[in-house]
Amino acid sequence: MNLFERIKTFFTPVQPLPAATYHYQSPPEDKQPYRLHLRLNQDGSGILIVNASTVLHLNPTAAEFALHFIHGAAPAQAAQQIARRYRISKSQAEKDYLDFMERIETLIHKEDLDPISYLDFERVTPNSAQLTAPLRLDCALTYRLPLNADPLNAPTKRVERELNTQEWFSILDKAWAYGVPHIVFTGGEPTLREDLPELIARAEKNGQVCGLLTDGHRLADKAYLDTLLETGLDHLMLVLPSTGQPNWQALQNALVADIFLAVHLTVTPQNVTTVSSLMKQLHQAGIEAMSLSISDQTLHDELSALRDLAGELGMRLVFDLPVPYSAANPVALEVLGQDVPSGAGKAWLYIEPDGDVLPAQGMAHVVLGNILRDPWDKIYHP
Amino acid sequence: MKHRILAFVLVCALVFGLSTSAAAQTYRFQLPKEEVHVYWNSDGTVAVDYQFTFLNDVSADPIDFVDVGLPNGSYDFGTIQADVNGKPVRVTSDYQGDGPYGVAVELGNQAIQPGKTGTVHVYIGKIERMYYPDSKDETYASGEFSPTWFGAQYVSGNTDLSVIFHLPQGVQAEEPRYHLPTNWPGTQEPAFGFDADGRVTYTWRSTQANGYTQYTFGASYPAKYLPEDAIVRTTFLDLLLGGLAALFGLIARLLPFCCFGVFFFGLPVLTAVQEHRRKKQYIPPKISIEGHGIKRGLTAVEAAILMGQPLEKVMQMILFGVVKKGAAQVEKRDPLELSVADPLPEGLREYEKDFLEAFRRPQLSVRRELLRDMTVRLVKSVTEKMKGFSGKETIEYYKSINEKAWRQIEAAGTPEVKSQMFEEALEWTMLDKDYDDRARRVFTGPVYVPTWWGRYDPVFRSSTAASAPSAAGGGFNLGSGRGSALPGAELAASIVTSTQNFAQRVLGGNFTESVTKVTNPPPPPSRSGSYRSGGGGCACACACAGCACACAGGGR
Repeated sequence: MNLFERIKTFFTPVQPLPAATYHYQSPPEDKQPYRLHLRLNQDGSGILIVNASTVLHLNPTAAEFALHFIHGAAPAQAAQQIARRYRISKSQAEKDYLDFMERIETLIHKEDLDPISYLDFERVTPNSAQLTAPLRLDCALTYRLPLNADPLNAPTKRVERELNTQEWFSILDKAWAYGVPHIVFTGGEPTLREDLPELIARAEKNGQVCGLLTDGHRLADKAYLDTLLETGLDHLMLVLPSTGQPNWQALQNALVADIFLAVHLTVTPQNVTTVSSLMKQLHQAGIEAMSLSISDQTLHDELSALRDLAGELGMRLVFDLPVPYSAANPVALEVLGQDVPSGAGKAWLYIEPDGDVLPAQGMAHVVLGNILRDPWDKIYHP
Repeated sequence: MKHRILAFVLVCALVFGLSTSAAAQTYRFQLPKEEVHVYWNSDGTVAVDYQFTFLNDVSADPIDFVDVGLPNGSYDFGTIQADVNGKPVRVTSDYQGDGPYGVAVELGNQAIQPGKTGTVHVYIGKIERMYYPDSKDETYASGEFSPTWFGAQYVSGNTDLSVIFHLPQGVQAEEPRYHLPTNWPGTQEPAFGFDADGRVTYTWRSTQANGYTQYTFGASYPAKYLPEDAIVRTTFLDLLLGGLAALFGLIARLLPFCCFGVFFFGLPVLTAVQEHRRKKQYIPPKISIEGHGIKRGLTAVEAAILMGQPLEKVMQMILFGVVKKGAAQVEKRDPLELSVADPLPEGLREYEKDFLEAFRRPQLSVRRELLRDMTVRLVKSVTEKMKGFSGKETIEYYKSINEKAWRQIEAAGTPEVKSQMFEEALEWTMLDKDYDDRARRVFTGPVYVPTWWGRYDPVFRSSTAASAPSAAGGGFNLGSGRGSALPGAELAASIVTSTQNFAQRVLGGNFTESVTKVTNPPPPPSRSGSYRSGGGGCACACACAGCACACAGGGR
């Protein structure tokens, strides 16, 4: 920095850090691996996302601390930077930074801890805060389904063509440029796309957390699953058939793989009486996370009972992913009438195989634009 | 339509006045509700009407002053009035908040005490120089307004905030245009309406706002409804004078470079002052997490786990549950022996089945191990159920259920009704940490014991020739002495003694520790381990779901 720049800086008020997205992945040797995404907003505030699932909203000071944390700055170094930009002593800044680090690390490493009671976090209602970009992009790579597929998984809108690999690359890159940290590949049946490993690799290269929703028919082939894992797949959800037996071989392969695994089951009037025993079977097989939805609102009470059963079995409930009838999940139904904003079109967007953008899966009647043809501002204005 | 306006933002900064004498005071409160009416008057003035509902923290000092910042110095002090809960209070010019302009509201003997709620109403009747030209349409005037906000260190929680713009008299429904609010968690588009005077209103409302964020709202409307001189215009002369002022300011700052004496003494001081000026105000880091509030639908046993109740009490509650459901009968109280129904009745929870399975085993060590496993599963189950919900708010909710249960029992008119309510709410009343005392206080006379009491108390059963195991339908039959009574103190003592026996004779001394070793293991070493000590192995005092031990989290 030359003298002129120094003088200029001296007379220029401190500005918020530039808006950008940062990514941290813990080293492979970490016993409890985790990923962080920090999105800095123009006003200096930020959003820190832990493992693509826990969303923290940070005031400008916390956002700067989070950036130092992501960069692995030593407390003294971070405190010096903070004290240069804020009216605060270095010692106080260091004390606050250490406290900040401890709270974030505790949140990461002790998932079962209630962060509001024990880490002094405040609570905000999900999807209520302003966002500059969605937190997740659900990419329906194809609407094709394998032969004999569960008709419940059939998409509601047909498309004229499927985007090619390069076009999907450009979508993933564009999403990353706007700060979207989480990609979920879905369908139809996304494993019917031969370029799926390439797409996963691209998202991984960008720094995005990458998930896959599949009926699992191709995962019975362990070599194929290994390919997906090696390219960087982070989480997997097997969508079970609403009738008949799950693909146990695929489940077995996924269970022994080093990946976060969940299964989804749509509860229907036809299968409602057998779901609890299937859940117990799945639990015994080692499944630890589950997504449930109902095809019929009259099954509300049954869904509540199944939610309780999942809790009693120690199974984690996963929700809000683009599964069939995703809006009718146990948590959504539980908070019905509590003025909780929907995340559709705000916290997540859904891209159809031809690039059309919907607020969420199943909302084919609301096309926000085409991600390749239309400007971002037209598509995303939550 | 997005409007830009010329360098104008009406900012009202509201902070609590920390005068020298009050600097040591602790202000901490919530602002559950705030309503702001902004009257954009056709005479070129603006009136602002605030209605704040404060909830003072139980451990904070009383709220005795409120400093209200004002957007400029062109206000009429004589038009400002304030009251607290309808009682007038003094307004002075002793403003000590941020920003150059403002007034202080002295709450005096209306100060809002810790734990109490109070409504502060502030009316500013006349502020001038509030209208500016609209940058998109020269025939329009515009104004923007930021409602007051507090330091983040003082205020917490959500605020139900309503901001209502009353546009100048005469403005027609199709004429005004709103500006997109900034930082606003609610709907960007305001609700359109008319007030009692027929003036067009824009209303922004959100229950997800807070008291510490600056929100800015704005509107434009035809300038013809305002006096020409009410609109503040930036002229070339203004720009020229502004530029000259800035130039002289810069020269004044650089002057120390020319003066040897000042170079050594003045420059460091000016540098420090300038450094201070250019830096941002430090607000302590604040983290908010997305999550839902109260988790409803927990059983009393699950609520007890969440609240960190002693495990022997949890066991006692489970015992009552299985006895009530006819799944077990107490054969012997000390040491506790049960006979378990075969087949089990329908509707048992998993933890109740596990509990009964443990009591099928005669060997104490095996039984303890099974009870420990059951408790671990129960804690984990509650933890999973609580994922995404606030433990703090849920605990408060179940405390209120406990309190409600007691109040209903206390309010019951006859011993029969009181006994019936007690039976229905027995497990919920047990969530009270002072269960013993309260039960003794409430049950002063005889208590008609529940129908299943005979299955719980073998002595009572034999004395009343109570029930025998039933072969039909699984479980024990329910006939047992409704109408039989025990002295209230005896009933309470029976429950408390039984709980103590559970602790001493069934669970043993280190039961809780054996559970928390699994449910609350020491945290793994942190990424910042080189800077701080990591957590060591320790045992927790409770086995609650989602809770931290005093020693967990790296020595917190």
